Formats: sequence, structure tokens, C-alpha cells
Amino acid sequence: MQERLDYRKAHSVEEALTLFQDLPRSRYMAGGTDLLPRARGSGQAPSRLVDIKGIPELSRIEELPSGDLRIGAAVSVAAVAAHPTVRQRFSALSLCASALGSYPLRNRATVVGNICNASPCADTAAALLCLDATVLCVGPAGPRRIPIHEFFVGPGQTSLASGELALAVEIPAASAGGRAELGRLSRRQGVDIATVAVLLSVLPQRSPRHRVALLSVAPTPRRASEAETLLDQRGPSAANAAAEAAMAAARPIDDVRGTAAYRREMVGVLLTRAVRALGAA
Amino acid sequence: MSQGRWVGRDVLRVDGLEKVTGAARYLADVKLPRMLYAQVVRSPHPHARVREVDVSRALSVAGVRAVATGRDFPFHVGIYLKDQTVFATDRVRFVGDPVAAVAAESPEAAREAAALVRVEYEPLPALFDVRQGILPDAPLVHPDLGKYQVVPWITPQAGTNICNHLKVRKGDYHAALKTAAHVVENTFVVPQVQHVPMEVHGSAARMDLSGKLEVLTSAQSPFTVRHLLCACFGLSHGDVRVMVPQVGGGFGGKAGINLEPIVTALAMRVPGRWVRLVLTRAEEFYAAVVRQGLVATLTTGVDRSGKVVAQRMHYLWDCGAYGGYGVNVVRAAGYTCGGAYEFPNVWGDSIGVYTNRPVGSAYRGFGMQEIHWALEQQMDMVAHEIGEDPIAFRLKNCLGPGKRTVTGQLLDEHSGRVDQCIQRVAQAFSEPLATRPGRLRGRGLACAVKAPAMPNDAASSVLLKFCEDGVLEVLVSGIDYGQGLRTVAAQFAAEALNLPIEQVRVRNLPDTDLSPYDWQTVASRQTWATGNAILRAAEKCKAQLFETASQVLGAPVERLALRDGQVVDTGGAGRVPITRLVMGYQFPDGHVIGGPVAAAAHHVPEGLLFLDPQTSQSAKPVAKWTFGAQGVEISVDPDTGHIQVDRVVACYDVGQVVNQGLILGQTYGGVVQGLGTGLMEELKLDLLTGKAQNANLVDYKIPTALDVPAALEASFVETPQKDGPMGARGIGEHTMIPTPAALANALYAACGIRIQEMPLTAEKVRAALREKRAKG
Repeated sequence: MQERLDYRKAHSVEEALTLFQDLPRSRYMAGGTDLLPRARGSGQAPSRLVDIKGIPELSRIEELPSGDLRIGAAVSVAAVAAHPTVRQRFSALSLCASALGSYPLRNRATVVGNICNASPCADTAAALLCLDATVLCVGPAGPRRIPIHEFFVGPGQTSLASGELALAVEIPAASAGGRAELGRLSRRQGVDIATVAVLLSVLPQRSPRHRVALLSVAPTPRRASEAETLLDQRGPSAANAAAEAAMAAARPIDDVRGTAAYRREMVGVLLTRAVRALGAA
Repeated sequence: MSQGRWVGRDVLRVDGLEKVTGAARYLADVKLPRMLYAQVVRSPHPHARVREVDVSRALSVAGVRAVATGRDFPFHVGIYLKDQTVFATDRVRFVGDPVAAVAAESPEAAREAAALVRVEYEPLPALFDVRQGILPDAPLVHPDLGKYQVVPWITPQAGTNICNHLKVRKGDYHAALKTAAHVVENTFVVPQVQHVPMEVHGSAARMDLSGKLEVLTSAQSPFTVRHLLCACFGLSHGDVRVMVPQVGGGFGGKAGINLEPIVTALAMRVPGRWVRLVLTRAEEFYAAVVRQGLVATLTTGVDRSGKVVAQRMHYLWDCGAYGGYGVNVVRAAGYTCGGAYEFPNVWGDSIGVYTNRPVGSAYRGFGMQEIHWALEQQMDMVAHEIGEDPIAFRLKNCLGPGKRTVTGQLLDEHSGRVDQCIQRVAQAFSEPLATRPGRLRGRGLACAVKAPAMPNDAASSVLLKFCEDGVLEVLVSGIDYGQGLRTVAAQFAAEALNLPIEQVRVRNLPDTDLSPYDWQTVASRQTWATGNAILRAAEKCKAQLFETASQVLGAPVERLALRDGQVVDTGGAGRVPITRLVMGYQFPDGHVIGGPVAAAAHHVPEGLLFLDPQTSQSAKPVAKWTFGAQGVEISVDPDTGHIQVDRVVACYDVGQVVNQGLILGQTYGGVVQGLGTGLMEELKLDLLTGKAQNANLVDYKIPTALDVPAALEASFVETPQKDGPMGARGIGEHTMIPTPAALANALYAACGIRIQEMPLTAEKVRAALREKRAKG
């Protein structure tokens, strides 16, 4: 029996949690740019969509007294990409956010939604992994904080419990500064999912200073820690060794966008280029 | 460039305001009174016998008003070859083949009921490759091929998978090949691609209680739809009315007949109710029509002077599950098999093969981009083999006045000049290509030729009539789905009657009850055919105006002229505004002469002759040829294989530029569509299940504005077409024909690799570069 989709707009976090629990197969929705096409295609449409875009406290980007940056779950990717603090202090995120989809899509999609969708190609996940972000969430069992490194579980799967709502993502002040280089290959110049992408971020206040994140080459977005260590130890001269290490860290598959072999090879090419670009800067 | 007052100028689109304000209404915008929503039940199997279709559970869903199946409507349909039924009867032939359809009060009820139609299938071995399809033991996609109705010039081979085979035999190929100093043979492959119009297919139908059928449809061919619906359902043309609202792109995919029989069948089940079907984007990819795939093998023999002496062309077309329209692509590719070149000795075979893939049909270029992918790479490869410059080699062998095509047609000084197009592009490339660090750069060139592919009696007719205030209404039944027909029609009418363009209104939402006949909007034929008809009708209107004015002014007709809405006696006896003439002239004493000024006229191609059935030789098999050439400059990233297109230069001999802005739009649009098929497009099937793997815009990519090259240049040669309106010939399709081959040639120039299977993806380039390096 096909039911009509029940769409509800929540005005507070409490209301969102209640609306979610009222019906089985509910889903939280922010931009809906991944959720809606997938619901249409899969035949496993949610019974209810709980829209969180109207919750005021989730619609803000805040610099906390600690210097940490908090991005609410309803903040669009475009707003994050253009935000002066993001651009100045967390350029890796601005870079990745700008690469996602198209202008109209970025105006609709949210950064938190992008990571909750947990696609292996989630552009902003690369930056959040490098910046050691934390996901703030709340559920029937109360609030909790999930380190981004524990957030992605598999394709489309996160460590959020059923009914748990991601409220925001926080980036620590210690990840500020530094530089980043994104290498991203796609089938056309824009408005396309990354066939493979490598983000290299150099964070002066962190250890390791070099951060390497890989997209579309594993079940989840992931870091290549061996490559990071090599770059920390030997700098740009370790480019080739780091590339080898990153290629070894990749677990790509063949799909309609590209073969595993090409993706693995490109991880090496993109990281080598990123090292060269940052080294020369 | 010759210019009239309106023709040859940069006249703005007459329907621009409607389009940009959203006033233009498309099928999905139209809410019809008491409309039912249709949903198609489609085959999940690429090839299967249909054992049973049980609709009982579907009928019990609340809101369902009708379910139609192949048992109720076992009628055949098809424009040239009637090889398809409205719904599958005994077997399904591709994933997406319609088995039944539901009409219900809501889309949700229709979907629910469609899911409850229980179909019992017995899967059969599926065929996905034309090379296997022609083998004697291949599974037969159409065991009843010998029983289908077909037009006389299409030749399906009963007992095989071959739905059409055109043979071209000119001179003595085998003898000539023996004399050749060099022989080069290569095979090239083109995958199925989809049109991806902005507006998906949609149709609606209503049969009233007296049995009269109305159809509203997003289509390129309202009259052909009417004709084929009548043939399919046994209706009289007088009882079927087909109307076309605004159409948001078609590119050939909406030519012929498509969803109309499905909504008609449902409408017949629920008299008095409108039934509307709009495809989803996913259905558009796999269940609407696609461009046919091609496997082309070319053999070229050249003599010591660099002249081609023998040319063999073997084209195997992947027509998919049905060849109703696609059989004519096979035919067109056959009689154009040599492209823009004069080959004295030719052995050509163009063979359409059924497979269990999506249905092949018309697509901008009608087979020409596919064969040029092969022909134009082959020309470069032969030139390299004999150590000649590819441009010089082309100029030595290309068609032109005094040369004969593969079918023996003699070209004359009105036929267009591909040599001049080649030289223009070569001139644009005379400066050496600047190097770029880390990139391999190269230039490539390819030619293009295409003739309209249409029956010899393909006609366009128009009606011109004046309003009381002197505004001229021009009724044309071609479809303006973006190419600018309405604007061009206004230009020709304003030119012929010397009217301000604001005083012309093109009435063009065709309605077969009210509009003049037009065969189809295909084959780049509208500017040419409708343009000619308008000029003729305008002459008739002028004669009516002059006849009345002559009596009013007391001046002979020969002395009269039209100037800015007035009939003027050039001999000085005075003038009379046409507003006083268009409804008849009333003299001071009250008596009236003349009457409402109106005229109809038509255009039918002149003197076309059938091809010889054994050799395809014919003195005039087609109405006209449009030639052109494109050059591209690319930068290749050798590490990733990515191709960046830096510059495209296009030149076509269009006879006469009619509208400067629109022809640039056609050229740029065609080039970008050509870059899409050349670089990224391919409908990929899972060969285990027959399902499309990328039936969505996430994984089927077409170019966006970001993929448009930094430099796009277009220029035009104007060798007037003898039977063209003011010398014009067609250009709409030609602009996307040579682009992929030019890219492939540029890729070879840039890095010495040759990719013969479209598209040129980064991954293929990278693999070819690695292979080349490994060979040293």
C-alpha cells in the first residue's frame, strides 16, 4: 500500500523529536537534496519527513567564546562556503563546500545534511575529518557529542541512533589557520559527484600537521593517516611515498562513475599534486 | 552575407517574452478538467515471454478507473515498420517495455494499482550486442518480423534480427581495392545515448461520448501522430484531433509517435475523461527512445597520389527492441555512408539490428554523428598512414561541384562547399598552438554532411491571413521547440510582404483540426520547407492585395509595390493602406470589392527519386546537403586523462543565414551537445539484468555552462540553395555531427593515442596513455 508522504515542519528541536517518534519510518530532513531523490527512486519512501529548516537555533553559524565554530544543522552549504570566518580560519571547509553540487543545490543543501547522508563522496566530510570536527546531537536518550572520526559507519550509515537528530557540527579553534588543497575529479566541470577526491590540509596547531582525506574510494569518507605521518616527518619530499600510502589506504570499488583501479591511481596523482601546490605556496 | 530587410538580420525571438516570463505553458502545466493520471506497468526483463497479465487486484484499488493491457489493444504501431504493439502481447523485449497501463484519480492510486498488476513472465535469452545479433544462432527478438507492415523502402529480413539493410554499390570496390597502394581498416563504436530534453515526454487523451478523440501531446509531429493513431486504432482522421502545447526540447526523441497510443488506449476505456501520462526522468532515460548504438568497420584503399580509390563501410546499428523509426536512421546512414567525400568505388552496408536494449529512434543528426565518428577518424588515420596532412588529404578527396556522392548523385554549384568550410577552419588554426605546462595540446578537424531523411512526399503547408488592423497571422504547423521556427517564419513573411516584423503574428500551437498540414519537425527541414511555403503564400496574398488596389488606384498591377503596410503605385497614382484592403475595399458609395486576404501554400521536395534497391544508386535521392567542418583545440592532463576543450571553430555552408542570433544559438548548442556525446554520455546497461545503470541525472551527465569552451567561434559560407527560401538550407542537426570525431583527432594530435569507442572519458584516455607508454 503506497501512502502519501507525511510532511511536517518542526519549529523547535523538541517538536522535531516528538514528530519523529510518532510514526515509524520517519526521517529528518534539512535541504532534502539527497533524501528526496533517493526516496523517489528506492521504493522505500519514508512515511514522514520532519523538516528542521524552520528551527531558529539550528539556522546559525556561531563563533563560541572558546573560538570553536558551530554550524547549525539548517545552515546551507552556500552560507558555510561564503562565511568570512570559515574562509579565513577553516579554509578547508570553504574549499570543500564550494565544490559540492551547483549554486542552486548549495543554497538548498546543508553541511550537516551532507554528513548525515554519509555518502563516500560527501564533499564537506573531507574537510570536517581533517578539522577534527564534532557532531552535536540529541535523541530520546538525551544529548551527546560524536567525534567526526566515529560518525561514518558505512555507505549511508552513521553512528546516529534511531530518532537521534544531528543539531550542529563544531570545529575546534585549534584547527584554525593553515592551508588546504582539494584535488577533485568528476565527469564534467561542475554539478557532479566526485569520482575521486583528495583533500590535503596543513594545520599549524595540530598533530599531525598534515591531514589527508579521501572521498569516493572507500565505504566512507576517510583519512589516510600513514600518508599524513610521512608528510609530517619528511615534508614535501615525501610526496611520492605519501601518495603510495594514500593509495594503499584507499578501498575503492568499480561503479558507473569509474573503476577501482583508476580511482586508486588518481588518489596518488591528486595527493602528489596537492603536496606540490601547498609546498610551493 | 546577403541581407534583406528581415532575412539575414539578428531578429529577436518572437516568443522570447512568453518563454522568459513563464507565460508559455507546457503539457505538465496544463490541468485538464477531471483529469486522470496514468501509470505504465513496464517489463523488468530485457526479454521474456508474457504468460499472463492479471489486473484484478489493480482494478480493486480505490480511485482506479481503467487498466489496459495488450489483450485489449493488440494493435501494431510504428512510423515506417509496424513492429510494436501499444502494450506487449506475447513477449517483452526490453526493460521498460509497456505491458499495461492504469488510469486513476490520483498519481498515488495509479502507482499503487500499477504495482499490483501481476505479470507472469518466462525469461528468454537476451541479446545486447549487435555483433552477436547477426549470428545465425542469435536469439530472435522479433520472430514475427516477416509479418509486420512496412513501407516499401525499408527491408526487414524475416527469420533474422535485421530490421533494415541498405546496400550501396558504386563502381567496382573489389577491383579498385587491389590497385590500392595502402589499405587501412578500423572499427569504431558508438554507445546508445539519450536525448535528455528539459521537458520529458508527456501526452494526454480524451475520447468524448460520441467517439471523437482529442490528444494533447509534447511532440514534434502532430499530423504524423494523428495519422498513426488512426492507423493503429482504426479511427477516421476526422475524429482525431491532436494538439501540441509548448514543447521543451525534443532533439528527435519526440519525433514520430511515442506515448500517444498508451493514453489513447486508456482514454477509450474511460470515455469523457482526460487521461494524462508524464514520464519520470528515470523513465525518460530507459523507457522513452534513445539514440541507436553503432559498430562501424571501415576499409579504405588509397593510391600513391593520396586519392581514395576504394572505400568499404559496414555499419551495424543497435536499434534496440523496436525499429519503427530507427530503420530510417539505418537507411539515411546508408545513402550518406561516405560522408563528405567522393569515393569512386564503394561497398556500403548499413544494417539495423534488433537487440534487447532501449528503443533506438531519431536523435539530432539522425545517424550522422555516429558515422562521422568513424569516417572522420578514419580520414585522419589514413592520412597519417600515408604521411599526408589530414587537411590536405580531406581537400583532395572531398565532395563539391562536379563530384558524385556514394549514390551517384551529381553535385552542382548550388550544392554547398565543404572545401571552403575546411579552409575556413584551417585558417583559424594557422597560428601555432601555444604550449601549456603539464598539458598535452592538440588540434583536430572533422567534416560533416547531412541530407534531410524523409519520405519523398514530406510536406509543409502554411496559411497566411490578415486581421482587420493589418496584422498578418501566419499559421505554421512545425514545432518550435527552441530552434526558433516562429521567429524565422515571421522574418520570411515580413520580408515577402515588406511589413514591420511587429505586424506579423506567428500562430503556432498546432492543432490538427485547425492548422495547415505539416509532416514532421525533423530533418532540419522547417526553415527550408516552411520558409518556402510562406514565401509562396505571401506572393498569393500580395496578388490579392494588388488586385484590389489596382482597381482602387486605377493603376496596373505591375506598377504596384508594398511599402510599410501600404500598396504604392510606383507610377505615382497614389497609395492605399493595406488596412483598407485586407477585409475588402469599400468605395465611398458603399460598394465593396475584394474580401479578407488569405492564402495557403505548401512545399514538397522537388523531383526526389527512389534508390535502386540493389545498389542505392539514384540521380536525386535527397533534396539537399548541408556541409560543414569543425576544428577543436584541447589540452590533455596526462596524469588524469582529463580533456579540456579550449576552443571550437565551426563553419557551415548554410546557403543563406536567416537569423544571425538563432544560427549562432544552433551552432553553439550543437557543438556543446556534440561535446556531451563525445566526452561523457553513454546509457550504460547492466548486462546481466538489462537494466540501465545510470537512468538519472546523477550518473548520466550532459554538459553544463561550465563545460562550454572558453572560445566558441562560428562562421558561415553562403552558397545559395537552389530550392531554398532565399537560398537557405537546413542547419539544426549538422552542428553536433563532427564534434566528437574532431575531439578524437585532436586527442591523437595531442598525445598520439586513438580512442575508437565513444565517449572519450578521462579514464579511457589515461588507460590509453599508459598502454602507449608501456609499448614505448
